[in-house]
Amino acid sequence: MIYQDSETLLEVCGLRANVNNIEILKGIDLVVRSGEVHAIMGTNGSGKSTLAKVLAGHVAYEITSGTVFFKGKNLLNLAPEDRAREGVFLGFQYPIEIPGVANNQFLRLIYNTMRIQHGKDELDPLEFDDFVREKMRLLEINPDFLDRSVNEGFSGGEKKRNEILQMALLSPKLAILDETDSGLDIDALRVVAQGINQLTNRDNATILVTHYQRLLNHIVPDYVHVMDSGRIIRTGDKELALELEAHGYDWIGTEHCAILGT
Amino acid sequence: MSAVLKNLINQPYKHGFVTEIESDIAPKGLNEDTIRLISTKKNEPEWLLEFRLKAYQQWLKMTEPTWPNVKYPKIDFQAISYYAAPKQKPKLKSMDEVDPELLRTFEKLGVPMHERAVLAGVAVDVIFDSVSVATTYKHKLAEVGIIFGSFSEAVQEHPELVKKYLGTVVPVGDNYYAALNSAVFTDGSFCFIPKGVKCPMDLSTYFRINTQESGQFERTLIIAEEGASVSYLEGCTAPKFDTNQLHAAVVELIALDNADIKYSTVQNWYAGDENGIGGIYNFVTKRGLAKGINSRISWTQVETGSAITWKYPSCVLQGENSVGEFYSVAVTNNYQQADTGTKMVHIGKNTRSTIVSKGISAGHSNNSYRGLVRIAPTATGAHNYSQCDSMLIGNQCSASTFPYIQVLNNGAKVEHEASTSKIGEEQLFYFAQRGINNEEAVSMIINGFCKDVFQQLPMEFAVEATQLLGFKLEGSVG
Amino acid sequence: MNIANNDDCFRSMLQGQSQLPVSPLMWLNKLRASAVDRVSALKIPTTRDEEWRFTDIAPLTKFLFQPADVVPYPQTANVSRFYLTEASIRLVFIDGVYTSQLSSNLSDLTKNSGVIVSNLSTGIPEYAAMIKPHLGGYVEFGDNIFSALNTAFLHDGALVIVPRDAQVKMPVHLLFITTQAKVVSYPRCLIVTEPNSAVTIFEDYVALQQGTYVNNAVTEITLANNASLNHIRVQRDSHQAFHIGSCAVSLARSSRYQSVNVALGARISRYNLNVLLADTSAEATVDGLTLIAERQLADIHTCIDHAKSNGTSRQLHKCIVGGNARAVFSGKIMVRPDAQHTNSFQSSRNLLLTLKARVDTKPQLEIFADDVKCVHGATVGQLNNEEVFYLKSRGLSDTMARNLLTYAFGAEIIDRIPIASLRCQLEQIVLEQTQGG
Repeated sequence: MIYQDSETLLEVCGLRANVNNIEILKGIDLVVRSGEVHAIMGTNGSGKSTLAKVLAGHVAYEITSGTVFFKGKNLLNLAPEDRAREGVFLGFQYPIEIPGVANNQFLRLIYNTMRIQHGKDELDPLEFDDFVREKMRLLEINPDFLDRSVNEGFSGGEKKRNEILQMALLSPKLAILDETDSGLDIDALRVVAQGINQLTNRDNATILVTHYQRLLNHIVPDYVHVMDSGRIIRTGDKELALELEAHGYDWIGTEHCAILGT
Repeated sequence: MSAVLKNLINQPYKHGFVTEIESDIAPKGLNEDTIRLISTKKNEPEWLLEFRLKAYQQWLKMTEPTWPNVKYPKIDFQAISYYAAPKQKPKLKSMDEVDPELLRTFEKLGVPMHERAVLAGVAVDVIFDSVSVATTYKHKLAEVGIIFGSFSEAVQEHPELVKKYLGTVVPVGDNYYAALNSAVFTDGSFCFIPKGVKCPMDLSTYFRINTQESGQFERTLIIAEEGASVSYLEGCTAPKFDTNQLHAAVVELIALDNADIKYSTVQNWYAGDENGIGGIYNFVTKRGLAKGINSRISWTQVETGSAITWKYPSCVLQGENSVGEFYSVAVTNNYQQADTGTKMVHIGKNTRSTIVSKGISAGHSNNSYRGLVRIAPTATGAHNYSQCDSMLIGNQCSASTFPYIQVLNNGAKVEHEASTSKIGEEQLFYFAQRGINNEEAVSMIINGFCKDVFQQLPMEFAVEATQLLGFKLEGSVG
Repeated sequence: MNIANNDDCFRSMLQGQSQLPVSPLMWLNKLRASAVDRVSALKIPTTRDEEWRFTDIAPLTKFLFQPADVVPYPQTANVSRFYLTEASIRLVFIDGVYTSQLSSNLSDLTKNSGVIVSNLSTGIPEYAAMIKPHLGGYVEFGDNIFSALNTAFLHDGALVIVPRDAQVKMPVHLLFITTQAKVVSYPRCLIVTEPNSAVTIFEDYVALQQGTYVNNAVTEITLANNASLNHIRVQRDSHQAFHIGSCAVSLARSSRYQSVNVALGARISRYNLNVLLADTSAEATVDGLTLIAERQLADIHTCIDHAKSNGTSRQLHKCIVGGNARAVFSGKIMVRPDAQHTNSFQSSRNLLLTLKARVDTKPQLEIFADDVKCVHGATVGQLNNEEVFYLKSRGLSDTMARNLLTYAFGAEIIDRIPIASLRCQLEQIVLEQTQGG
C-alpha cells in the first residue's frame, strides 16, 4: 500500500556491480518506502537476482559505483549479518542445505540473535518452541520440520516455506524475496503468498523478485519494475505485470528499444 | 577462499610450552644395547627383554609402509632418543611428592592430578615423556579389584597378567611401527577389570611429550574379563618444536565374554606451524580383540593434532555376536596429513560393526579415510554399516576415502556410504543473511557435521572436543 | 633386441615381437620400441602391488604363450551366432588378425558417409596423420606391463574415426574371436570422434571353444567437443582363458561417454577402465556387470578422473558371484583442483550366491576441490528379504522369488545396453546363470 507520509526505507542510486569483472548491474535507481510492495520482473540474466544479493551483501559481487541507503544508513558499509540485523531479509531462490544442523536449533539461534539486537531477552528453548509452533501453524508447516537438518532433503516447496517461516520470526523491515514462487505448486504458492501478506504492514516493505506474474495474483504490488541487461527499463503499477504476462518480455524489449531509438 | 575463512581456521596451539625440568635422557640411537638399557632401567624380567629383542630383530627385517597417503622425509631412527624421564625420587608415596613443576604443567593443561580437585571423578594416569608420573584413585579402584596404573608397575606387580596378554592382539611383527614399539616401549597404562566388575569411574591417561629429541613409545594394555566394562579416555599434547618427533604407540584391548570396552581419544599433539614446520609424527597401532561372545569394543577418536597421523583403531570380532564400533572426527589444517580409519575383521557369527568417520580438511592439508571391512568365511550373519563424510574448507586441501571391503561369506551384509560437503561463501552468506556471524556459523556447521561422533564421547570429553574444534577452526566465539 | 625381464612367461611372450614387420612410420616403430623397453624394465605384478592386491595372476605365468599363427579362418556358420541381428558395421578378428572375409564391406561405408572403420594394419599407413596424435596417447604403459606388451606388439586391431557432425546409426561391432589354445593375442582398438559426432561401439571377446589362451587388449577412445559415444564391452572368453584389458577414454568439452562393460568369461580377467574428463561439462556414465561362477576371478578397476569443472559422472557396478568365484571391484573417483562443480555418483552393489563366493570392493574418492558433490556407496550381501517377502506374498515360491530378484539384479545393467539383440543374448545368459535353487 502506498502511504503519503511513509518514511523512505531503501534508496538505491546509480548502483553498478560486477561479478568476476563482468558488469551485471549497470546503474540501478530504486526508492522503496514503508508499506509498499515492489515487484521486480525480468528475464533470466536480466540482473534481478543479482540486485537482491547485492542488497543483502553477497561477497561475490563488487560494487563499482552508486549508493544504497537503508533507513538513512549506508548499507554498503555493513557486513551481511549487520544488514540482516538492521532488518534486511533475503528470501533465497535456492536456500542452502546445512546437514547436521537441526532446524529448530538454527531458527532459535537466528531469532534470539535478532532479539538481542533489539535489546530483548532471549527465549529459552521451551518458550521458543511454543512461539515457533504457532508461527508454523499459521504457515501450514508440518511440525516435523523442526527436527530435520536445515533444508536438507526438503522439497522445493518446503524450502520456500522454511524461508517464509524465518521471515516471520525475524519480522524484517525490508523483505527481498528472490523467486519465492519458483518450484511451488499452486497450493504451496497460495500458502506462501498468504504468509507474506500476513507479514506486510505499514511499517515494512517487500520486494518481490519474480519471473512470472502468477505470484502477483496473490500479492498485489504497488509498483512493478521491469529489468533488462542490468537496468530498470520500465516502472509501472500492477497493470504492467499483466501486460507483460500477455505480451511477453520481447514486447517490452522492442518498445524500449524504439523509445531509445527516437 | 575468502580472507574470513582463512582467519577462522588459523588459531594458535595453546599447549605448545616446554616444561623446564631435569630429565634423564638415554643417548640417541637404536641397537640391542639401547633396548637392554631400557629394560635394565625398568628392572624388567628376562622374558620381557626377550620380547623386546625378538621385536627388534623382526623390525630390522621390515620396511616402512609406503601405502599411506602421506609424505614425509625418511626418519633417521638413530637420531632419536628412546628413553626420557623426568628425574625424580624412585618411588612416590603420595601425590604431594610429585615435582611441583610437573603439577603446574598438568594444571596448565587442565589435567587433574589431585584427587580432591577432581570434580568429574575420573581416575588419571599421567605419562610425561616416557614414564608414568602419577596415577589417581588407584586405591579406590583396587577395592573392587581393578588394577589401573602404569605399565611399568604392572610388569613388577602383575607380571603374570602382562605376560599372558601382551602381544596377543598386536603381535610383535604386526607392522613396522608396532615392531619398533615392541622393542623400545617405555611406559604406558595398564588396566585390568576383573570378572563381573563395572568400572565405577572413567579411567584416563594423559600423554605429554616434553623433550625435543625423544620419541614417545608407550604401550597400553586393557583387559576386561567376563561381564566387565570400562570406559577409558586418552588425551595427548606436546610442546612446539621446529623438529618432528615420533610417537609410535601400541594399544591392545581384550574383551572376554559379555565384556565391554569403550576407548575414547582426543589427540591434540602439536601439529606443526602454519608452514608445516615441526609437529608430531603419530604412527600408532590400536587394536581390540572382541574375544568373547557378546563382547563389545568401541573406539571414539577426535584427531586434531599431529603433523602426520597414521592410525587405524581396529576391532577383531572373534566372539559370536560381538560388536565393534569406530567413531572418528579427524580435522586437518595447514600442512597436516592424516591417513586414518579403522579395520573391522568379522570372524564370529552374527558379529556387527559400525563405522562413522567425519573428516574435515582446511588449509593445505590432506585428510584420508582408509578402512577395511573383512567378513571371514566363518562370519555368517555379520553386518557392517559404514558412513564416511568429508568436509572441505577452502580449495587447497584434499579429502580422500579408501574403503576396502572384503566379503568371503554370502550370509553377510556390508553397507558403505560416503559423501562430501563444504563450508563456503554460500553457506556463510546464508547464515549472515539471518544475522549470524561467520564464527558462529562455522562452529554450528562443524558441530552439526560431527554430531554423530561427539554423541559417543563421555560428557567431559565431548565438551573438550567441541572446544578443541572451536579453537582449531574458528575465532574467539565459543 | 635385448630382453632383460627375468620372467620366462613374459620372455616367451616377447619372442615374437622382433618378427613384427618394421613400419615405414618412424613414430610407430619408436612407440613399439619404448614399450619393449618398459616390458623389459617392469616386473610381473604380484599381490604385494596395491594395484594387484586382490588378483593373483601367477596361474598365467605357469604357461608359455606364443603369438598366434595365422590359421584358415573359420566357416561363417561357426561364427555367425555372434553376429548382431540388427544391421551393424562389423570387424572380425581371428586370434587377433583381421579377417576381411567375415567383416562388413568397409570401403563403401567410408565412401558414402566419411566414417572410417578399418583394421589398424591397413588403416595406420592410410590415415597416419589422423592417427598419430592419438595412438598410444591415452593408455599409460609406464607401469603396466600388459599395456606395454600390447603396445610392443601393436600391429593390427580396429580403427574407427567418426568425422565432424556424423551420427552413425548402426552399431560398430568389433568381434575378437579366439580359435587356438596356448596363444596370446593383442587386440587393439582406436576410436576417434570429431566434434558433434555420435557412434555406438560394441567391443566383443568370444571363443570358438574352451581353451587356455591370453587376450591382452588395449582400447583408446577420444571424444571431441560435444561428441557422444556409447561403448559396450562384453568379455565372454573361454573359462580357461586369461583376459587382461585396458581402456583409456578422454573426454573434451561437453562430450558424453556412456559405457556398459560386462565380464562373463575367463578363468582370470582384469579390466582397467580410465575415463578422463579432460575439459569442462563432460559427462561419463560407466556401468558394469560381473557375472561369474566356478573358480573364476574377475577384477575390474575403474578410474574416473575429473580434471575440469562442471563434469558429471555416474557409475553403477554390480557383481553376481556364484560357485567358488571371486569378484573384485576397485573404482576411483578423482576430483582435481580445477574440477569445481563436479557432480559424481558411484555405487558398487554385490550379490553373493554361494557360501564360497567372494567379493572385494574398494570404491574410492579422492577430492581436491571444495565445491563438489560426490557420493559413493557399496553394498555386499544377499537379496533384500523385504523384496523376497513381497513376491512371496503375491504367490511366488521362495525359489521363484529369489531367482526373479537375482535376474533383475543383473538385468538392471543389461537394460542399459542400446542394442536390442545383444540385450536379449545377455539376458538369456543372466537368466541361465542366476536360476539356481
